[in-house]
Amino acid sequence: MAGPTYATPTGDQAAWRDASPKPGCLPIDLVAFVQGGVAPILGVRTPDGRPLVGSAVACRVREMRVLRVFVERRRHEALLGAVAAGSAIAATFSRARDHRSIQVKAPAAQLGDPSPDDLPEIARQCGLLLDELLELGYTRPQAIAYTAFDPDGLAVVEFIPERAFTQTPGPGAGAELRR
Amino acid sequence: MSACGLRALRGAMEGIAASILCTCDADGLPNVSMISQVHWVDDDHVALSWQFFNKTRANLLATGQACVELFDPTTHARHRLHLDHVETRTEGPLFEMMKARLAGIASHHGLEGVFRLLGADIFRVTGIELVAPPSALPEPDRPPLLSSLRACIDDLARSRDFDELTDALLDGVVAHLRIAHVILLMAEGDGRLFAIGSRGYAASGAGAEILPGEGVIGVAARERVPIRIGHLSADYRYGAALGAAARQAGLLAEEPCGVPFPGLGDPHSQIAVPILSGGRVLGVLFCESPEIMRFDHEHEDALVLLAGYVGTMAVLLGEDEPHPADATPEPGQPPACTVTVRHYPRDDSVFLDHDYLIKGVAGAILWRLLREHAATGRTEFSTRELRLDRSLRLPDHAENLDARLVLLRRRLQDRDACLQIEKTGRGLFRLVPSCRIALQDMGDATAAMPA
Repeated sequence: MAGPTYATPTGDQAAWRDASPKPGCLPIDLVAFVQGGVAPILGVRTPDGRPLVGSAVACRVREMRVLRVFVERRRHEALLGAVAAGSAIAATFSRARDHRSIQVKAPAAQLGDPSPDDLPEIARQCGLLLDELLELGYTRPQAIAYTAFDPDGLAVVEFIPERAFTQTPGPGAGAELRR
Repeated sequence: MSACGLRALRGAMEGIAASILCTCDADGLPNVSMISQVHWVDDDHVALSWQFFNKTRANLLATGQACVELFDPTTHARHRLHLDHVETRTEGPLFEMMKARLAGIASHHGLEGVFRLLGADIFRVTGIELVAPPSALPEPDRPPLLSSLRACIDDLARSRDFDELTDALLDGVVAHLRIAHVILLMAEGDGRLFAIGSRGYAASGAGAEILPGEGVIGVAARERVPIRIGHLSADYRYGAALGAAARQAGLLAEEPCGVPFPGLGDPHSQIAVPILSGGRVLGVLFCESPEIMRFDHEHEDALVLLAGYVGTMAVLLGEDEPHPADATPEPGQPPACTVTVRHYPRDDSVFLDHDYLIKGVAGAILWRLLREHAATGRTEFSTRELRLDRSLRLPDHAENLDARLVLLRRRLQDRDACLQIEKTGRGLFRLVPSCRIALQDMGDATAAMPA
């Protein structure tokens, strides 16, 4: 039986190059990817100049160009504070089953609150991630804990990516995605 | 730093769940990625694996700062560590520990050859934050390790010689630590290791050899550090290297006729702990399992303590005065059949008729005993006289001789050979031939043996 097929950085580069989004919009492939239950993680710089990392819950894309990343407020007060203070932002999305990883960066982000229609979509994405983690060998309690979130305690970090990078493991990992 | 301390977070650093890492460049632009390995070093330091010349690497060199979030798969707690880069190591024990684990992780994820450790980046942990509190209690899936270890050491303390120590150790690991597959190996002076006994395999494998640096056992001995992996990669499998090395040296036209390594066919978890005494590597205690991630930091702690105790006892027992046991009956007259024992001085390998038995110092000891027996008819010997015999070129330390005698006795037992060695007291033993022995010194001839 053939083994699993893993993504490659060159595959990410080709997909990006061949995409033809409308001006100012993200490639449809990326929009679908980041909303597919792919464990978003965020990085910022604190006001005192240190890096700060935080795992997020899910991501929605507005108008094909604005990423809305949902994070738990009580877990990530310092991260939200850094965003409010004007930090640049990085977000990486990694899919467990084929290791495909894309990082996007923006010079700044804005904070907001989720709307009621976000919650079913967040739950859907967390369900997808839970299934992927089970496939990866997590036990069900581990996968449930990893994807659990407090629906009443979410904040939204919104930004328009300026640059994108492939972080899929392999030759070319880390390369900026350009056309 | 958090009151819980870094040591309490080791469970989140077993590599079961991926961790996440953020660095910033000199302009403050962050970079965030998932990482496969956060390695616990001590109460104040962790190490991250440097695998690629990427943005993370450039940022670390520029700012020396990083931030990591960990997920504990047992308690489901999340912690954030703030890190300052201290140094990068590209060799040595820590590097080798991380290299072995990374190879296993890469293999498990189908990325063998993609992940390659370039360096171990050591960080001082300047802060620990609780991001999400524990929400699950650890499952009591084993007896408390400290109590199990105490039971092991109680058994070891009753050993009167190296032979009993070997059995007490192997039985203790199985019975008290609940590890089903264990092998004890002792070191040759040249960096090789030979198995002296095992539990949990079809054959004991006494006499099986591990080349210097081969697999987790060889690396653990070379680097004097425990090597523990939860996903075995091809790089660390046994057997292939031995045959390949022999064929490369032109010594073999066919498969080697040495003693096969007794390991599991498809292990996933392995741990090799060096047995040290006075800074020397006496041997390696090796455990394995078909389960993934079978051994954690706590197992490693327990086995290191056990190995330390065995190291001390092995040396002390080797220094004991000879002490006869209760009278053991003299063997009867050997029957009339004859076995030719061939000795190849080049590597002291010994064959019974055409079957390989043993080589190295153990082979030299056997040949010395048989020559003495042929010349004088003697069957009763002492370890002390062997220790004083310069022709055997024994290493300086007493437990080396004891280990080789145990190996020789077990190898003869395993083979159900026509001669056996029986213990007749502490430091005393008897050669028991069950047929006539003819000796043949093969001079400069080369045996068909692995190098």
